[in-house]
Amino acid sequence: MKKITAIFLLALITMAFTITESTKYKCMIQMKNYDGEGAYVVISLLNPEGKYEKTLYVQGDDEDWYHDITEWWNFHGKVRSDIDAITGATISGGNRAISVIEIPNDKIDQGYKIRFESAVEDQEYYKDDVEFELTSENVKGKIEGKGFIRYIRMIPQ
Amino acid sequence: MTISIWRYSHLTLAISSFIFICLAAITGIILAFEPISNQLKPYAIRNTNQITIAETLGSLKKEYKEVVTVKVDQNNFVTASVIKKDGKSETFYVNPTTGKKIHSIQTKASIYKFATNLHRSLFLKSTGRFLVGFFSFLLFLITVTGSILIIKRQGGIIQFFTKVVNEDFKQFYHVILGRYFLIPIVLITLTGVYLSLEKFSLLPKTKVKHQYDFVSKTDKKLAIKNFPVFKQTKLSDLKSIEFPFSEDEEDYFFVKLHNKELLVHQYSGEIASNQQLSWVKILSEWSLFLHTGRGSIFWSIVLLLSCFAILFFIYSGFAITLDRKKKSKLPKNKFKKDIAEFIILVGSESGSTFGFAKSLFEALLQENKTVYVDHLNNYTIYKNAKQLIILTATYGEGEAPTNASKFLQLLDLVQQNNNIKYSVVGLGSYAYPHFCQFAIDIDNKLQELNNFSPILSLAKINNQNFGDFKNWAIQWSEQTQIPLELKQQEFKPKKQYNFKVLDKTELNNDDSFLIRLQPTKKMKFQSGDLLSITPKKDNIERLYSIGKIENDILLSIKKHDVGICSNLLYNLTTEENLSARIQQNKSFHFPKKSKEVILIANGTGIAPFLGMLENKTKTHVFLGLRTQHSLEMYKPYLNKINYKVAFSQEGEKKYVQDCIQEEQKLVASVLKNGDAIMICGSVAMMNGVLNNLEKIVASELKTPLQKFKNNGQIKTDCY
Repeated sequence: MKKITAIFLLALITMAFTITESTKYKCMIQMKNYDGEGAYVVISLLNPEGKYEKTLYVQGDDEDWYHDITEWWNFHGKVRSDIDAITGATISGGNRAISVIEIPNDKIDQGYKIRFESAVEDQEYYKDDVEFELTSENVKGKIEGKGFIRYIRMIPQ
Repeated sequence: MTISIWRYSHLTLAISSFIFICLAAITGIILAFEPISNQLKPYAIRNTNQITIAETLGSLKKEYKEVVTVKVDQNNFVTASVIKKDGKSETFYVNPTTGKKIHSIQTKASIYKFATNLHRSLFLKSTGRFLVGFFSFLLFLITVTGSILIIKRQGGIIQFFTKVVNEDFKQFYHVILGRYFLIPIVLITLTGVYLSLEKFSLLPKTKVKHQYDFVSKTDKKLAIKNFPVFKQTKLSDLKSIEFPFSEDEEDYFFVKLHNKELLVHQYSGEIASNQQLSWVKILSEWSLFLHTGRGSIFWSIVLLLSCFAILFFIYSGFAITLDRKKKSKLPKNKFKKDIAEFIILVGSESGSTFGFAKSLFEALLQENKTVYVDHLNNYTIYKNAKQLIILTATYGEGEAPTNASKFLQLLDLVQQNNNIKYSVVGLGSYAYPHFCQFAIDIDNKLQELNNFSPILSLAKINNQNFGDFKNWAIQWSEQTQIPLELKQQEFKPKKQYNFKVLDKTELNNDDSFLIRLQPTKKMKFQSGDLLSITPKKDNIERLYSIGKIENDILLSIKKHDVGICSNLLYNLTTEENLSARIQQNKSFHFPKKSKEVILIANGTGIAPFLGMLENKTKTHVFLGLRTQHSLEMYKPYLNKINYKVAFSQEGEKKYVQDCIQEEQKLVASVLKNGDAIMICGSVAMMNGVLNNLEKIVASELKTPLQKFKNNGQIKTDCY
């Protein structure tokens, strides 16, 4: 009897994991031809209320400048989750960067949003350079930016 | 153009920027270690010029599920960003032949981050960047004005690298290092300026734009490792490759090389677009390399040394300026120029002459004379003048010092009303070929003018010897019946050390004696250096040539009846201490590289040579003494070697210069082989020897003697 319970429990745990499974997406950020320093770009997951849920990727590795990305800093500055594994270099004007981001599958088509905010030293800060709803259609597409970003492209792995 | 403008700009620029330059140099020193330590890391790939991109991409493709980017940085670290077979993405240093990970990415050490930030923007962001760029440019101007000063000092561009006269440690190395680091510093400053211009988008905009016709579907499919362009390109030419984002045909390989950017079709391997980088970009690359030394240990070390040199320039430059300022003060006049009967005019480049002028000025005041002192360039009509005294140094190749540059013209223009008696005193150093030339020019010019008459012939003073100046004053007093009591201006006395008297001989028939002293502290010196003794009684410094015997100092002294210093030394007893100071005298050191050396001395000039006899160099010694008896006290030091002596008061009554005349062949071969002749003793003997040498050289080698003097083959230390 005990054995059966154990197996049952195990099956339940496995199921729980399958439910929160996530998918990797290759994501390319193509910058406009602006002048100046490399841009800091932060990719975050927003919940349906528009609140930060999770940091997905940070382009730019000098923490001294993070507070310039104001909105995100209000979230991350308090939480200070470990982002070492999802940090890359800044992206200069005209260049592009490819990163791999991980999005839980249960956030797709649920009103969640993905936000790309960008800032350049001594220049503007765009809190929603690119922002779109996470739909199964959008995560395969190309979305134009409003600030330093020309466009972003994503494809699921 | 006068030298003063350049010196003035050199100094003004330095004063206005030294704090920033100091900061930049110190952080620069720290930053120079970054590329050096990077080069020593194990992930630097040495043979990137032998590996093709095709090889690297092929092995990476095999090793990982997907490759995103490959980069080769300035340190020759190859970085790959990949998605591994388990779906996780990772970026790391990679072995370009095996495709295996070597090490995870190392972030810049925080000390370098801090130093970089301070170095390029002083933590002031854009303002700081601008300031640093601006001061970099100022440093460039300082370097240019400095070079002009060296050219002026050495007497022409061609002489830029000729021997510098060593008068003072700071000045000497300011010039020497200035020459060595001219090119690195010019490069550092110009690239620094260029890099900040770039940051401020002040350079022409040259973004690379790729234009290409979209090639419709191609059937041709090649494996990446077979792409011709990848096979032809070496890793050393590569900056980065971005892999096609998706499998769509419009996604290309984006290849950045050092001189161009390529779009390569992801299936056919054909080049869809090829854009050369602009010169602006290429210059930026070079500027970065030259400014940071990245990727080159050698250049990093050059940069490191340059930073140290810059710090030394700041220190020595200000030290020189302060020295000059201290000395350059003319005393305050008590009488108007048209009232004074005695006019003292001064020409000086470095300011040491002003001290002499001040002594004279005060001595005349003490005699209740009306005296007026001024710079030579301020020469004008002096209504009451009866006596004119000119004290002047000479600059460079016999030119006027800055504050005397217009004097010779002024002499023609200004018409004095009364007849004036004059005396010219030139100050200089035998070390310069144009000893007191400007004083000579003034003296000649005054002789031509009608209302000037000399009361003394031109006096020349070597190395600011105050004793010589006093001698001139005595002569002047005799002529004018005005007693002068000259007091040497109190300079801050240099630090004195104690020397213990070990031994002292009795006076010989020539009133000479030997004294052996032992430094009470460990000191570095060698034969030919000078012992500086400044008796408290008159505060006048005397210099004696040192013979170094078993780490002791041997001096040979001639006692004069009224000589303050020689009597001071003579009255010392064994074990007593003498306070003195050792002064380096590089120009009279025994030449280590010579194979054969001729030493010529007379009288007490033998002392330094006694310390030079213990060496393997073939040494020929010629001595000039009065009598056989004179030789006795030197004999204990001469027993191991052969030497020739000329006795001037006994036997053949020969002088040492006569011995030289008989040694034509030896002299000629020594000079011809680049070896040295050293002369120490009286000036009369030196002139006699030089005369004979001149004749020998003219007949045997057909060369003027000056050539050997200039390249240091003939060394003299005479008094």
